Parts: sequence; structure tokens; C-alpha cells
Amino acid sequence: MIAKWIGKRVIMGTIVLIIVSFLSFFLMHAAPGNPAAAYYGGNAQTLSTAEKERIETAFGLDQPILYQYGVWLREAMQGNLGYSAKEGRPVATIIQERLPNTLQLVVGTLGIVAIASTWLGLQAGMKEGSLLDRGLSFVSIASSAIPPFWLGILFIMVFSVQLGWFPSSGMKDVRGDGGLVDRLYHMVLPLSVLVLAHVGVFARFLQENVKAEKHRYYVEVARANGVPERAIRKMILRNAIIPYINYVGVTIPSFFGGSIVVETLFGWSGLGQLLVKAVMVKDFPVLMGAILITGVVVVICLFVIDVLMICLNPRLRRGGIV
Amino acid sequence: MRKEQKMLIFWLVILGLLVGFTLFSSWLVPFEPNAMDMNHIYEAPNGTHLLGTDQLGRDVLSRLLVGGRVTLFIATLSVVLSSIIGIIYGGISGYFGGAIDAVMMRILEAFLTIPSLVIVLALQAIMQGSVWRMAMIMGCTGWFVTARIVRSEFIRLKELEFIHMAKMFRTPLWKILFRHLLRNSLPAIFVVTIFNFAGAIFTEVSLSFLGIGVPPSIPSWGTMLYTAQNDLLVGAWWMGLFPGMFIFVTILCVQAIGSRFKQRGGQTHV
Repeated sequence: MIAKWIGKRVIMGTIVLIIVSFLSFFLMHAAPGNPAAAYYGGNAQTLSTAEKERIETAFGLDQPILYQYGVWLREAMQGNLGYSAKEGRPVATIIQERLPNTLQLVVGTLGIVAIASTWLGLQAGMKEGSLLDRGLSFVSIASSAIPPFWLGILFIMVFSVQLGWFPSSGMKDVRGDGGLVDRLYHMVLPLSVLVLAHVGVFARFLQENVKAEKHRYYVEVARANGVPERAIRKMILRNAIIPYINYVGVTIPSFFGGSIVVETLFGWSGLGQLLVKAVMVKDFPVLMGAILITGVVVVICLFVIDVLMICLNPRLRRGGIV
Repeated sequence: MRKEQKMLIFWLVILGLLVGFTLFSSWLVPFEPNAMDMNHIYEAPNGTHLLGTDQLGRDVLSRLLVGGRVTLFIATLSVVLSSIIGIIYGGISGYFGGAIDAVMMRILEAFLTIPSLVIVLALQAIMQGSVWRMAMIMGCTGWFVTARIVRSEFIRLKELEFIHMAKMFRTPLWKILFRHLLRNSLPAIFVVTIFNFAGAIFTEVSLSFLGIGVPPSIPSWGTMLYTAQNDLLVGAWWMGLFPGMFIFVTILCVQAIGSRFKQRGGQTHV
């Protein structure tokens, strides 16, 4: 049963990747002017017609589009994403430099958000009507209305400009050795912006689940039988966390979306910043590669979440496909 | 219940004021929003310039009001467009069901997996430009959730007795689709549209902030924050603070109103 379930997910992931690859490939073709011009960006005006034709044959641009797509896909699968139109370096190398930075940021955020929101949500949900309960509901609505980048601007305003505690941008000190401490120090602001932007909503989701779970029959029975409060909490959490993890899975794409803006704001040279830069200078090969890799990373993350779901939810293991 | 009613009215009034001010901004603004005044650049909020001036000496308050019109216009247009696409897509999928539904839903799930900002970015790269295009792009990428809601509403409704009766009486298909199914799903569509509206403001502001949304020459809440980072280093905190406050309050109103309707609607599942 698990095999079938995993198989379904793998097929789903493949469909997603095919759509992403379509999106990133046809981007090049939808670009204004012919693909050769798109490849050379602003320099295309200096090319003569003969040169353009030569470029088209060299890149196989005179072949049918679907054939081109096939060739491109085959090359992309082997790790050849083409060359950046601006830097001249292989796109794969550029992305290889950038990807770890984004992953550090996103995984760090996810970890902190998961721990903090689980704790907060459980505390608030268990004590219905308490200050924490009502406060959390309010904070989560307020925090979901703040654009993350504006929060970042406010943070720069207070912590960088006024107090001078943290650097406003960059990943390492110019004089520093770029060690772990230095990296963490530069990570504080972007990380806390991303965490604050997400934690309220997640905590509230869990809080609602805990509240619903608390009034279930099994909790009452357990309590009547004198099961210690600690054990009851554990039972409630165990049941309330399953839809929560599902929710995390649904919102993972938005984590990467959020990191695009925050990376650009804080000069964090990750995938998101690369994407924005590529759009600005119309560096299509980089853009295509970055979109493709973002898709791949998201699909992998979702798969990890799915595996986690199987581990935590015995009903899935027994065959009920949710 | 009384209290909630009051809160709803409170949020509606604030949102109404905001929208009203931006709609009639042409008559209300104290200064011409694009008029530069090089003698008064980076002026802190004072008697003449209530919210200060920017790097070219333009009045921040005037630009905010006019900019709000651009932001709200893009959000409205894109939401209308995305609702139409969502209703059509979800309606077809939900009403016909079977294999069509399965295929359409798989495609939809795939779209939902890709960060929407990435799709918007990709489209923005090839057709960057005007306010209209921006609204189009956002409309074409914002319909996924609407489609899902419409589909689940249609599936729920089409099994109800009155639809069976209508079919028995040979009510024409379009009448069943529009008069019965669509009309009864409107409350749910309304709620999701409100949240989409908040999301659209979010997207516009984020993109314009990155400098790849609305052209920086057109004032919008997002483009006003485009330069805010540099302004902060000069010490012009009002440039970063006020546009964000407007965005925050607007989205807060919209979301509060949305969740109130969601509670009232009861069984709407987003």
C-alpha cells in the first residue's frame, strides 16, 4: 500500500516537473524577438542577419520546437543548463553556488517555525480563552497582513540604522573569514523576518486543531481515567499535528516565494536573488535554470513532507489513501 | 454576535475610507504627485508636507493616495480576471467530473506546487511593462484556489435534490450551471475572492518593490518602497514607514472582513 501511495506521489512530482520545465523552456520562446536575440539580450542589435542565422543553426534553433524541447530536457537532466548570457559561466555552476545559501535560509526558517509554532499553538490551544490564546489569534491575523519585505525594511530601520546591532545586507563581513559565526550573524535579520512572517499563521492553524481535538471523546475518557496531563497533551498533539504537517506541505512553495523577496532585500545571494537579477537583466538561460531548480527543490521538499506524513500517520500506512 | 457585527462595520468603514480617499485622490491631494521640488528633498513630516517628501522633493502623502489607486486597480482587475478563469475551470471540472476532472485537478495541483511568485516573475520577464499587463499576469496566475473552491462547491451541489429535479424537468444546461450551481456557490466564491484580493495586493507590492512590477515612474505602494532601502540609510524613515502602513492596514481590513464572512458562511473550506 505504501508503495502505491509513494508511486502516486512520484508520478505527481514528475507531472509538476514536466510543467515547470515547459514553463521555463517556453519562456525563451515567448521572449520578445527571436530566441537568438533573447540569448544575447541587449547585444542582439549589433548582430547582422547572417550572424543571426549562423547562431540559429549553431544552437539548433531552426529545428521544430518540440524537438528542441526534447534536446534541452535531455541536456538539463544531465546537468547541462546552458551558459549565462551575462556572465558566460555555466548556469549549473552559478546555481550550485547559490542553492546552498537559499537552502540554509529556508531550512533554518522551516525548522524554527516548526518548533516555535508547535509549542505556541499547543500552549494556546490547551488554555482556551487565555491571554495567549486570544493574543495568538490576533497576532497571526496581523502578521499575515504584513508584507515580509516591509517587516525587513522596518528591521533594517531599527536594528541596522538606529541600533547598529546587525548588518543590513550581505552574507559575510568584508574583513571576516566567512566562518559559521559570521554567517549566522548576517543571517539573523533575514531569518527572523521570514520566521515572523510565517510563525503566527502556522501556530494558529495548530491551535485550532488542538482546540477541536481537545473536545473529542477520547480526551474526556482519558481524563476521567486519570491519565496524567502530560500524556494527554502528547495524545492531542499527535493527532492535531497531522493536518498541520499537511498544511506545512501546502505552504512550502510560499516559503520559497517569500525568500525571493527577503533575499533581495538583505542582499543574501541565494536562488531568489538570482531569479530577480536574471529577470532584470533578461538573462534567460539563468532564469530558465533557476526556475527549473526551484521546481525540483520544492518537489523534493514535498516528498520529504509526504514521507514524514507516512511515519506519523498510521492510517496512511494501513492503506487509507488521503 | 453584536460585537462581531460592530467589528465588521468597523473594518468596512476603515476600508471604505481608504478606498474612498484613493479613488478621489485627484481632488484631495495637496500637491501634484509627480511635481518635484528640489529645494525640499527628504523633508521630515511637517505642517506643509504631512508625511514628508522623497528624494526628488515629491509629497509622500499625495503619492501615497494616488499610488493606492494604482495598487487597488491592479488588485481589483486581477481578481476579477482570476475569478472568471477560476469559475470556468473549476466549474467544468466539478460539473463533468470523471476523467476530465481527474486530469484537470492533477494539472491544478502541479500549478499549486510552483511558487506563484516564480510564475509571475517568469511571465514578467517576457512581458514587463504597463499596469494593465501586470494585472493580466496576476490574473492569469491567481485563479488556482478559486478553481478548487468552485469545483468542490459544484460537486457538493450537483448531488442535491433540487439539481436532480431541475434535470428531470429538462432545465437547459446553461440554466443549471448559472442559475443553480453558480448562484449557490457565490458565497464561497465571494470569500475566496476577498482573500485573493489581499493576496493580489501582496503580489503587486512585492514585485514593484523588487523593481520588476509596475514601472518605477508610476507611483504605487510597491514602487514607493522600491527606493526605501536607500532612503533609510539617509535617515528618511518616513519613506519606508508610511507606504507599508497603508499596505498593512488595507490588507488587515480585507482579511478581517474575509474571515468574518467565512465564519458566517460556515461550511466554506478553503
